[in-house]
Amino acid sequence: MNYRWLAAAAALFVLALFAGSRMRRLHEPRFPPLSELKTGPFAFSDAALAVAGFRAPAADLAWIDLLRYTAGSLPGYTDSPGKAYEHLGVLSLRVTRLDPSFHRAVLFAAGILAWFHGVERPDEAAELLHEGMRRSPEQPLYSLYLAALAYKRQGDSNRMIALLESSFDLPETPATMKAILANLRQSRGEYREALILWIRILENDRDRSEHGRAKTKIVELRGLISRGAPAKR
Amino acid sequence: MQTIAAVFAYTLKEHIRHKAWLSSALFGLVLLGGALVVSALGQDERARLMLDLGLAAIEAISLVSIVFLTVNLILQEIESRAIYLILTHPVRRADYLLGRYLGTVAAIALGMTGMALMHLALLSLYGGIEPARYLAALGCMLGKTAVMGALALLLSLALTSEAAAMSFAVFFWMLGHFSAEMRFLADRSGSAFLKTALVAFSHAAPDFAHFNYRDFWHQAAPGGDWLAWAAVYALAYTAACLALSVQLFEQKEF
Repeated sequence: MNYRWLAAAAALFVLALFAGSRMRRLHEPRFPPLSELKTGPFAFSDAALAVAGFRAPAADLAWIDLLRYTAGSLPGYTDSPGKAYEHLGVLSLRVTRLDPSFHRAVLFAAGILAWFHGVERPDEAAELLHEGMRRSPEQPLYSLYLAALAYKRQGDSNRMIALLESSFDLPETPATMKAILANLRQSRGEYREALILWIRILENDRDRSEHGRAKTKIVELRGLISRGAPAKR
Repeated sequence: MQTIAAVFAYTLKEHIRHKAWLSSALFGLVLLGGALVVSALGQDERARLMLDLGLAAIEAISLVSIVFLTVNLILQEIESRAIYLILTHPVRRADYLLGRYLGTVAAIALGMTGMALMHLALLSLYGGIEPARYLAALGCMLGKTAVMGALALLLSLALTSEAAAMSFAVFFWMLGHFSAEMRFLADRSGSAFLKTALVAFSHAAPDFAHFNYRDFWHQAAPGGDWLAWAAVYALAYTAACLALSVQLFEQKEF
């Protein structure tokens, strides 16, 4: 019996092993192991998609679940009384553990947890940001938000706002965070600054999700300014 | 070479006429449309969702098509006894198998190109993407598809059962994406036997985890040398599977 094809297969397989080791040495995808995926009702579908090589689409679907939760329409995730956005941290970790390059999930959740009116859980936000930074140290917004949180804890809101505003035009900054910033300005009586921020949101195509609110806010702030409301507290 | 070209052209035409292939393309269109709808829910990340879900849809359709087509490629001809007619002609079995395989991969590549063009047209509505990176991702997906095709062909000839070959092909697909996890488990395993078995399995299965450009698109992009080694890997692994398939095919008694 002729085994020349078998010999050729063995030689080609050795070549494939060599090329595979070179390929792995040149680039290693940075995905957390499957054991670190968040548990919960979605664990099976997340693991199945990850094992089939669809981690990025799984993270995308998890992001949609996160948005549905913030809109109050994710079944099985109802907040306890007095604890708004109780599951936000878990759901954003679900996204980032599927795909650590999905920075916006962590930034979005940290923004709400740290600065949203009536939520204010900066410790939880800091935990999220630390995990995001550990998994993607190259993302500058994690450390910037952590620094802003430090200013918030010190009560230095001027420096906090200035720092957050320095990231306003970066593509990774979530539209929600920009809206929070504009609201922070308004709550301090800085209507002109708040108006400028809302106009910048409206002019940016990436912030389409906040355009509806921006239009309302611009009308409201123009009214306040024209009525001569106090310019600065 | 002429025989390979003739079988290649015949196979390509056959697949283009094939209804299963057309329904796959239609299904791909539906999936791409689904990606468009789902991405609308993604707010600020709509472009990212459109990119990821579209590429995933193209890959899923290509995988299903290649496994289905290659598993049936030779088995159906053996069942219908058409193979007797073909092999009575002066056609080397290796040439016949290679022509059939290449024709199938070319048909899938055509389908992928069509879906990619539609996907790119949709992506252009959301600002577009870097064409070089898209091409690299598509190339890696084609590489995975080619490897899976060769593996499915080998399995169909070794197992001589369509259902078993398809099940094992899907198993290898999963195992291929599990290679990094297997090496992670091997590192932590206390048993030398288990460690060796895991390392052997992780190397024997195609390393799709490191080949998944589409999935790590949003991470730091690998360089051109990585792409070159990835191409060598896909070609060598595919050729190894095809050589084994030819060995099995030549040993078959008709």
